[in-house]
Amino acid sequence: MDVDVDVSETRNNLLEAENALLCEQVQQLEGQLAEQAARTNALLAAAQERSYWLDRWGLDLNALMRKPGAAQLRALLRAARWPLRQARLLKRRLLG
Amino acid sequence: MAATSVVIPVKDGARWLAEVLDAVAREQPDEVLVIDSGSTDASVAIARAAGVTLLEIPPREFGHGRTRNLALEHTSGELVAFITQDATPVPGWLAAYQEALALDDRVAAAFGPHLPRPGTSPMIARELTEFFAGFSPDGEPALQSGLDDGSAHPGFLSNANAAYRRSDLETIRFRDVAYAEDQAFARDLFAAGKLKAYHPGAAVLHAHDYPWSEFMRRYFDEYRGLRETTGHVEQIGVRSTVRVLRDGVAGDRAFLESQGVGGAQRAAWTARSAAHHGGRRVFSALGSRADRLPAGARRALSLEGRGDSGANGAAGGPESFKPVSATRRSEPFAEILDFETRGAAPLLPVAQGIGERTPLHIAIVIPPFRTGSGGHDTIFRVFSEIERLGHTCSVWIDDPLGYMNGDRPSVIREQIRSEFAPLQAPVHVGFDDWFGADVALATGWQTVFPVLQLDATRARAYFVQDHEPEFYGGGAEHRWAQETYTKGLHAICASPWLAQIVRERYGGSASVFQLGQDPAVYHPREVARRRDMIVFYGRSVTPRRAVPLGLLALAELHRRRPDARIVIYGDPQPLQTSFPYEHAGVASQEQLAWLYSEATAGLCLSMTNYSRVPQEMMACGLPCVDLAGYSAESVFGEDGPAELSEFSIRALAGHMERLMDDEALWLRRSETGKRFVAAHTWQAAAAEVEAGLREALRERERALGAAAEGRG
Repeated sequence: MDVDVDVSETRNNLLEAENALLCEQVQQLEGQLAEQAARTNALLAAAQERSYWLDRWGLDLNALMRKPGAAQLRALLRAARWPLRQARLLKRRLLG
Repeated sequence: MAATSVVIPVKDGARWLAEVLDAVAREQPDEVLVIDSGSTDASVAIARAAGVTLLEIPPREFGHGRTRNLALEHTSGELVAFITQDATPVPGWLAAYQEALALDDRVAAAFGPHLPRPGTSPMIARELTEFFAGFSPDGEPALQSGLDDGSAHPGFLSNANAAYRRSDLETIRFRDVAYAEDQAFARDLFAAGKLKAYHPGAAVLHAHDYPWSEFMRRYFDEYRGLRETTGHVEQIGVRSTVRVLRDGVAGDRAFLESQGVGGAQRAAWTARSAAHHGGRRVFSALGSRADRLPAGARRALSLEGRGDSGANGAAGGPESFKPVSATRRSEPFAEILDFETRGAAPLLPVAQGIGERTPLHIAIVIPPFRTGSGGHDTIFRVFSEIERLGHTCSVWIDDPLGYMNGDRPSVIREQIRSEFAPLQAPVHVGFDDWFGADVALATGWQTVFPVLQLDATRARAYFVQDHEPEFYGGGAEHRWAQETYTKGLHAICASPWLAQIVRERYGGSASVFQLGQDPAVYHPREVARRRDMIVFYGRSVTPRRAVPLGLLALAELHRRRPDARIVIYGDPQPLQTSFPYEHAGVASQEQLAWLYSEATAGLCLSMTNYSRVPQEMMACGLPCVDLAGYSAESVFGEDGPAELSEFSIRALAGHMERLMDDEALWLRRSETGKRFVAAHTWQAAAAEVEAGLREALRERERALGAAAEGRG
């Protein structure tokens, strides 16, 4: 009889311990989820802040760059910028 | 082979009629009926000479639908073909129609291509060729089964060249409309479950080539008729017109080139082509909007000289009225129907203790807003403070009717931050990006229905700033607004009075927060306090502000104190009154702070929940007179910072007078008011709202616990 009580108590203790462990895991996961939601929101808010002027002016740079000649124009601008950069670098080197 | 009848309505059609009748005779129909409506040229003689049946009717009896219906009574063929006086059938025309009607028993009408006559201008020739080629890319007969069957121009049908099955024509009949009876028939036959057939062999030589002005007036009539029969409104805009013009002219030039037309001639046609396509755009759009033009302009622009406003009606019979096309993307409140159809989305389970956790993610669902919206200002100020308490918020704008002008979320977010409060939350328009929340929060009665349909949410709550059913008299909105309090959302109410209504009248759960105000703006300014000045919040478009009562009370005050200075603000236009006053219009917060700092008493009446205005007055040291018996006692107490009056003109005037005369009373109200507002900041409001949000989650915990116990 005593042996039965011991076995039952042990089983109950094990179940309670498992239950506590699972509750702790749920709390942890809940915490991670909340953190993730907060980070997602913050990222989205930051992205909205960055794209404000593009959206305000209704500019879709992706669509714009898909237009024929856009890539070439960008390359041209980069090429035109190159001597300016070099000149600036040289000036910095010469003048310290 | 079914018997065939050919019907040709004629008026002054001598130019082509002989050729047309010859071509028709070659097709060997069983009978040909010409209906002349008062020709003054040789049309009647030509018809008689051709030996066809001639029916003469007075011009005033002619109607495009009516006269063709009349033709049914004077013919007997099972196939009834209609052509116009200038449409010459090509060989095989009638046989093609017989073939078209034999394609399927459900074919009620058939039509064929219009071919350009030699010498037709390239604009018209190209348009006809391309238009009809679209009906049958493989050159075979084709069936059309409905306006949305995906075929080219499914609504097209032209009595310049069409054939009908008599039994269907007798059942459906042409509408007695001024124009476009054929296109109306096309819609009606689809509605009756019938089919329409196109046969490329059923061709006629038929091309209208007129001087430019005549073309344009025809387009005016044509699109006016389309609007009257089908509701079609031709859209016009600068960019689309430029595009149409560019494409039209380029197409005409390519067509001319394909026809071997040389360079100089092509250049000359280019100018005509531009004038044609540009003019067509303008006159089509004008025709679509003919009902908005003065009768004289309508008559001048119409080739038919029609100056009427466009309502159709057949005397003595069933009438068809002016069709109105869809003007909005959905009905207002369509989300209520969605909710009735789908019901509420299930909520997520709630883990124990979540109501105590920080951060919580709050999804705030708001109606569209404009600059200066007081209700939105409260929402944004409160949730800006909630964010400071460590919680995460996101804003979801429920705007099914597009009141936010299609603004992008980032633009709206900046508007919130610059005009209302520095909210950190991202903004979403609509719910396409919905990703769930701990609490989904409705903030106006209309937003309750979409909130109920949001899934991946642990709890729902309702930010209640007023008892909104009272805004709507006895309308449907009144009933819907009432129902929102019974949907199980925990109400976070902007006064004890509101919370009591939710609990006692609707059986809902509620917690309370009290409005704050901005001490940076509302504080006593450096100006001498007057003893004879009343400031009245007279926003007449808001009935709950009881402006007629306030004006009568001010009129009574003026009778008693003719020298009292009265300032009224809240409406852009001055109110009409029997007493003199100063009109401050829609005053800025800064202007108001100065006014409140100078005046003796404020008058702000609230017949539902209290306004932020009394607190803002109090923050500047100004005692405010409000109505007793509504929400004010629940916030300010019966003898607190506000001077509360019964609902009586004379009593209100008396209370204003008391504050002007009784300095001790004035001082007591003013000091109590300043102490009251010092305790009622937005931070304090946010703490109360946070408690309400946590209570919404705890309610869910309790409900889930009770359900588990029930199962156990």
